[in-house]
Amino acid sequence: MTCEEAIKLMDGYLDGELDPMTSQKIEQHLRACRKCEQAYEAHTALAHAISRAAPYYKAPTELRQRIQSSLRDAVGIRGSRSAARENRALLTSPRAERRLLLPEIPWNWLALAAAIILAAIIASSFLPRLRTPASDQFLATQLIASHVRSLMADHLTDVASSDQHTVKPWLDTKLDFAPPVIDLSSEGFPLIGGRLDYLDNRPVAALVYGHRKHFINLFVWPAAPDEAKAPKTITRQGYQLLHWADPDFNYWAVSDVNVNDLQLFKQQFETRTPRH
Amino acid sequence: MAAPLKAEYAFGPEDLESRRKVVKFTVLRKADPDHAESAELASFEETMLPHIDAAHNLARWLLRNEQDAQDVVQEAYLRAFKSFGGFHGSNGRAWLLTIVRNTSYTLLKKNRAVDLTTTFDEEIHATGHDSASPAAILEHAEDAELIRNAMDQLPTEFREILALRHQEGLSYKEIGDIAQLAPGTVMSRLARARAKLKEYLAAQIGKEK
Repeated sequence: MTCEEAIKLMDGYLDGELDPMTSQKIEQHLRACRKCEQAYEAHTALAHAISRAAPYYKAPTELRQRIQSSLRDAVGIRGSRSAARENRALLTSPRAERRLLLPEIPWNWLALAAAIILAAIIASSFLPRLRTPASDQFLATQLIASHVRSLMADHLTDVASSDQHTVKPWLDTKLDFAPPVIDLSSEGFPLIGGRLDYLDNRPVAALVYGHRKHFINLFVWPAAPDEAKAPKTITRQGYQLLHWADPDFNYWAVSDVNVNDLQLFKQQFETRTPRH
Repeated sequence: MAAPLKAEYAFGPEDLESRRKVVKFTVLRKADPDHAESAELASFEETMLPHIDAAHNLARWLLRNEQDAQDVVQEAYLRAFKSFGGFHGSNGRAWLLTIVRNTSYTLLKKNRAVDLTTTFDEEIHATGHDSASPAAILEHAEDAELIRNAMDQLPTEFREILALRHQEGLSYKEIGDIAQLAPGTVMSRLARARAKLKEYLAAQIGKEK
């Protein structure tokens, strides 16, 4: 491979988007050519700098509220009187009135929550246990719902700490098992905190990791002796779910990162899990 | 309002029993044909609202204006909801970003035709003054303000591709789907975008000296 070819393919190589054969050829060339190697190092550093230093413009809270209320308008749902008033306000003066709306929002959520609880009570008295052959699919629904809720309801963590020695003891006191808690900052998956959750009819530990600007929820609970141990991946609604198990625990990782990143996360986690 | 207050408590972290029931209810409600429309809205929000930051970030980089970005994201969500019935894919984020991108370009074309046609002006940005060395660039590379300034000067399609690749971590395939480009074009455009950014950084650092 010539220098010219190597430079031309360098971005693809940097992004891990080349086929293995071409990648190998570039690797060989970089080992042999000091100049191209330096160019590659500078290029990598620039790429990392963009990822790290370029500002990520998160959506302000009021935008989410504006969107939710305009969606409700679109389907013609009148959630409550305050929602209707809010919609009129938006129509006449979308920006000036926005601040006034804030104190009213929680009542909408509370009303929704009340409706859910009422329906849940009815549902739980009529519904038998929802354990069907499609229990994996049902579990997947639960996992995604829990992941989404953790991001939406501003309740990502009960204990927010990047220190595994803070998160682990906290979880140990709340659960009847001691899940492994490992900080993977050096592998690009910093630990953000831990949370209690309820899945598959039992309390579980949810460990929250970050990756670039995304979150990974890792749900952990003790493995039953007769459970299938084969790793599984499920893709639903743009979320990746990855399941694996060791002799002690079941693991479900849920995120919107791509499947390769999630596999990498699993590998790093498994490598660092203490073996008995 | 006693009932709603009780409901809030049900979302508390300790009340695990209620959380289980909430999940069951989601399944039940979706199967109820009487509430098809609100179920669709719930399903849409569950699928698409988690990507609101990605949507806003892309629009903000494309439009370089906070208010326009917010308007575009709102408009894009409404458009997305209207065609949600046609969405059967698994990649909700890429699907939404495609709509955000199209909506952004519509606004750009309408309001600021100049923004799209302005290609890189070699005269203004020529690095005639002694440009910084790669080492100097790396030294300043952690300077968020510098990177933001340099990125904001790039042509629209370069800002877009850098945000999609470096901030969303999307694959060439996904970027190609969103920006309607062949994977090979994605690579060459990324290469040009990075080279141009490096050039701008070098020019800015050169000026500061």
